[in-house]
Amino acid sequence: MSDVVVIGAGLAGLTAALRLARAGRSVTLATKGPGGLQLSQGTIDVLGYTPERVTRPLDAVAAVAPGHPYASIGADAVGSAVSWLAEALGPDLLVGDASRNYQLPTAVGALRPTALAQPSMIAGDAAGGRSYAVVGVRQLKDFPADLIAGNLARTTAPDGSRLAAHSAFIDLPARRGEADPTPLTYARAMDDEAFADRFARDVAAVAGKADVVALPAVLGVRRSGVWRQVAEVIGRDVCEIPLPPPSVPGLRLYDALLGMARAAGVRFIQGSRIVGFEAADGGTIASVTLAAAGGPRALRASSFVFAPGGFESGALDVDSHGAITEPVFGLPLTATDAGPLIPEVYWGPHPLFEVGVRTDDAGRPAGPDGAAVHPNLYVAGGIIAGAERWREKSGDGIAVATAVRAADHITGGAR
Amino acid sequence: MSEKSRNERAQALRDRLNTELQRMSLDMCVKCTICETACPVAAVTPLFSGPKFVGPQAERFRDEESVDHSVDYCSSCGTCSVVCPQGVNVAELNSLARAVMKAEQGVPVRDRMITQTVLMGKAMTPVAPIANAVLDNKLARYAMEKVVGVHRDAPMPTARGESLHKWLKKRPKPTKAPTRGALVYFHGCAGGYFEVDAAKKAIEVLEHIGYEVIVPDQGCCGLAEQSNGLFEQASASVRRLVDQLRTPGTDLTIISTAGSCTGMLKHEAHQILGIHDPELLDVGTRIREISEFLMELHAAGELPTDFRPVEMRLPYHAPCQLKSQGIGTPASDLLRLIPGLEVIDSNVTCCGIAGTYGLKKEKYEIAQAVGQPLFDMVQANNDGLAACDTETCRWQIEKSSGVETVHPIVLVHRAYGLSS
Repeated sequence: MSDVVVIGAGLAGLTAALRLARAGRSVTLATKGPGGLQLSQGTIDVLGYTPERVTRPLDAVAAVAPGHPYASIGADAVGSAVSWLAEALGPDLLVGDASRNYQLPTAVGALRPTALAQPSMIAGDAAGGRSYAVVGVRQLKDFPADLIAGNLARTTAPDGSRLAAHSAFIDLPARRGEADPTPLTYARAMDDEAFADRFARDVAAVAGKADVVALPAVLGVRRSGVWRQVAEVIGRDVCEIPLPPPSVPGLRLYDALLGMARAAGVRFIQGSRIVGFEAADGGTIASVTLAAAGGPRALRASSFVFAPGGFESGALDVDSHGAITEPVFGLPLTATDAGPLIPEVYWGPHPLFEVGVRTDDAGRPAGPDGAAVHPNLYVAGGIIAGAERWREKSGDGIAVATAVRAADHITGGAR
Repeated sequence: MSEKSRNERAQALRDRLNTELQRMSLDMCVKCTICETACPVAAVTPLFSGPKFVGPQAERFRDEESVDHSVDYCSSCGTCSVVCPQGVNVAELNSLARAVMKAEQGVPVRDRMITQTVLMGKAMTPVAPIANAVLDNKLARYAMEKVVGVHRDAPMPTARGESLHKWLKKRPKPTKAPTRGALVYFHGCAGGYFEVDAAKKAIEVLEHIGYEVIVPDQGCCGLAEQSNGLFEQASASVRRLVDQLRTPGTDLTIISTAGSCTGMLKHEAHQILGIHDPELLDVGTRIREISEFLMELHAAGELPTDFRPVEMRLPYHAPCQLKSQGIGTPASDLLRLIPGLEVIDSNVTCCGIAGTYGLKKEKYEIAQAVGQPLFDMVQANNDGLAACDTETCRWQIEKSSGVETVHPIVLVHRAYGLSS
């Protein structure tokens, strides 16, 4: 038996597990898959759009509408939660802070606001009329250098300056005989110093003049500081641009967080879903049910943190009649009928994605009357109602802030 | 085998692949690539195009013929199914697709031979010194590689001279009367003939904490046959074993020190071979890997923890076919109860051997590359011993790292003062 069972190994679950373990609690982390981090950009978005583009995220957090997950936490607590995570990961993995957003180029050449980024990315911050040499690799289909440069070159940065960009390609297979390598294949090759050196020399030969050389985010996955090696060879700043999954920067964060959690003593159970629970008196959760091979196993604990994600991971379900449910605990949701929430125009707001669990101030699932449903069950991350996270670019900040809130209430350290 | 029966076999397997319910799990694949990033084989060779590529993608084109032959480079470690967040049966469907392909093409003699684990044990045990000398002989191994296709440097088991059952017959009856009732012990073929020491110690630990241990005659679970695409033989093996494990009674907990064979009984025979017999499901729900069982006792406050200190660093590797049972890594938790023992988890996905995969001459180099981070980690962190729950993985780790590798129960046995 552990003090706490955390369910889910996305950013919220890993943050909660790490914070609890570092506070001396015994923690079991149970998850089906490895969570969404390796599908992410490997940055920490706090708030990117309200819907206007945000440059000072904490100011915008302080102004969210009541009912938004940030509203009951407050800007100070959001800022300190994000800072705690950044300190835990260290400046080789995350730099920046929640008071200002970087504006970083994406794999289609748009500018994406984000608060904390990896040090290999921030030279790409779009300001001051920056010029980019976007260099792709012929064998790596997910980095369309021409498209990225073309879009950047017609973009006015948020500070009003015009950006400049051109593209170039190198021809460098990561492994012989491979027809369709993923970004991860390249990142693993870059973990070899000699390959990274060869890559950098090839890039230097074609990059041409620009302030910064923009490269696919494949500059190493296990070996840190590959970007410094590459920048040194090229003799100019480089910036990594995250690619579609598998996301190498996301994997770096996942590996680091899971590694730290394990080092802090977290027990890790992967591959089985949590499918139910047993309650004791007063609605207290006594155990959750792990659907392991060979039959159900009960995981008992004093407290539980439920961080399973939202609709995208199946933690919230919509059936063919439009009924919305949370299948594990049957938690009360802010809406139960998807029908009226699905817009006719795809590009408009999607209120369905604001549906989720409402919480009390401690982060426990609450009924319509605001009272906690189970006294020892906390929620964190995408299951919480009130934000269209992917549109706002607020999912990471919500995950971290609500995970820290849950952990601190469990340890009694909450303010 | 005649052409006709080969075609019939292939067709029967293809029918399963095309009609089984788990095929619907393909529609849950969102192409997130998580399985591709976790696959230990695709990480080291482009010869395997990855679990998603040969699975949820290629499967759609496999109506009448096998379209992607790289599926044979899958090692069957099962990691893709473990990490899939959407519940796609990637490994199970790829195993079935490979069985179809091998049924179409015919299975090499080598793949039939290396799956005969009990036969190997029975043949080698009476002539252990000779058998071990032959397997240590460079010339003999070179000939074996050329003729049979088993790589000359691949790890081989060591014959012991005395089988577990022979020891059971000879040994004095336990002096302590059982206080906790009876358990059935499943040792697997390796525990019966090659890893006899771990099997003896498991029995002694269970007896020490108060159980009567019943060891029925038992054969092979068929896992090696299954991962070589010999589904009919594998089905016959596992059904025979299920009957044997049910003879002592149908309400007893079954304890195993064979980690991967436990997975075979818990889920693989059901999902990959398509066996739905209630007898298999019964055994599958009653069986526990020994560390899992001891940690269940611990959770209930029923495990004696009067352990003597064992002062050493111990690298521990959780094998993939234990992780695929979705129960975490109970041996790692159990070993941490022993004072003085500094358990260092490998956190490496796979040792590479995957049963018989790493024995094959065309896959040996891949298996070594898969296991290299583990071998390095074991070499850097040991005080003369490493631990792992499955047999062929122990042989692989020991051969490639040079560090003696034992079942975790060996350390528990020592901590209870039953050995020094």
